[in-house]
Amino acid sequence: MSDEGGRVLLLVGSPKGLEKSHSARLGRMVADRLEGRGWTSEAVHLHAAVRTEEGRQELLDAIDRASVVLFAAPLYVDSLPAPAIRALEAIAARRRAGSVSRVPRFVTLINCGFVEPSQNDTCQWILRRFAERAGFEWLAGVSLGGGGQVPKRVREAFDILAESLDLEILVPDEVERLTRKPIMPSWLYVVGGNFMWRRWAARNGAKERLRDRPYERVDS
Amino acid sequence: MARSNPGGAGRAVAIAWPAMGKKALILDGGLDDGAVTRGPGEIAADVLRRAGWRVEALVLREIDVAPCLGCFGCWVKTPGVCVIDDPGRDVARGMVQSDLLVYLTPLTFGGYSSELKKALDRSIPNISPLFRLVRGEVHHVRRYARNPRLVGIGVCATAPSDPDEEELFETLVHRNAINLHAPAHGAMVVCTTEDDEVKRERIERAIEGVIGT
Repeated sequence: MSDEGGRVLLLVGSPKGLEKSHSARLGRMVADRLEGRGWTSEAVHLHAAVRTEEGRQELLDAIDRASVVLFAAPLYVDSLPAPAIRALEAIAARRRAGSVSRVPRFVTLINCGFVEPSQNDTCQWILRRFAERAGFEWLAGVSLGGGGQVPKRVREAFDILAESLDLEILVPDEVERLTRKPIMPSWLYVVGGNFMWRRWAARNGAKERLRDRPYERVDS
Repeated sequence: MARSNPGGAGRAVAIAWPAMGKKALILDGGLDDGAVTRGPGEIAADVLRRAGWRVEALVLREIDVAPCLGCFGCWVKTPGVCVIDDPGRDVARGMVQSDLLVYLTPLTFGGYSSELKKALDRSIPNISPLFRLVRGEVHHVRRYARNPRLVGIGVCATAPSDPDEEELFETLVHRNAINLHAPAHGAMVVCTTEDDEVKRERIERAIEGVIGT
């Protein structure tokens, strides 16, 4: 896309929106790199878009304008948050209806609170099936773990990803190699994570209730 | 099929589990008019009743469950209870107090529909935020000593179903079973175009594989 630059549409599937979510931050990092190469960008918060018919229409119109759709979301129960799925259902229904002719390229950025990026694999699989069924060109699924940490090698991966999108070449395997490795050993993440959860609960006066069972069965 | 949410959106969901006996909760994630999931849901309920189970079914599109906020309040502020006071809490309670969960959904890109997923997203209070290793992989610790078994029924509106999506659906249910501490689980995909008897046989086999005969 070196002549006139492309247009990247960032779809954010986190309830925390465009300003506060880690998903939006990750997506923005890639979009910023594309803007540095002369691209334009726009962003849509899927939770807000699916609430109204007007929002859904604006989402579909934005997709029709995009050369690359960058889908960024957190992992929720091995899949996407419900409103993000609602958006996929709406997009696929519209595109299957045959009222669109463009085939935007589709890249996903899924992040999870576990340390292993591989825990996003099922969600990425769902997104790949969506892309195939809804008439997008699937390019790459980038999976990140570690609950919000972005090490230098991930930023390097974003550099490579943006370059490949701009040059319209296949996303190099290097992107997966740089993002696929956990940021620390699993056992260390368990120790550190449990310390963090207990401290967070303590700040809310809930540390002693962390193991409460409010819905315990009466016949147990 | 007994429906526990006749009051519709916004009302509390009352699930009247008996003190004794096995309890199955069907979460119907059907979209629109529910035509895709209705038949398989009725078959699943009938199979379970014939096996002596008490069955409740929640038609999720008729229940006003707000989306999860991703705030972790259910883990670090009000442990075990979602901070959103709506029927999503009732669904989560019903889930953990059952012996078997049936996830019934239109096969949606190989996964769950948005209607089923809105309930599942709100069920994370039922596990602990704390981590542990399961076969070398990080997962959450169980909150409750007893957790329900899990059967996933994906309904494909076109025939034949896509083998890749069938495998994906089974993988998704398997991954959920790990994270939700289900003591047994199974998953299968049926097509709306299949003969009713064939559907019944296949659903019966999947359920019996999880509950035992």
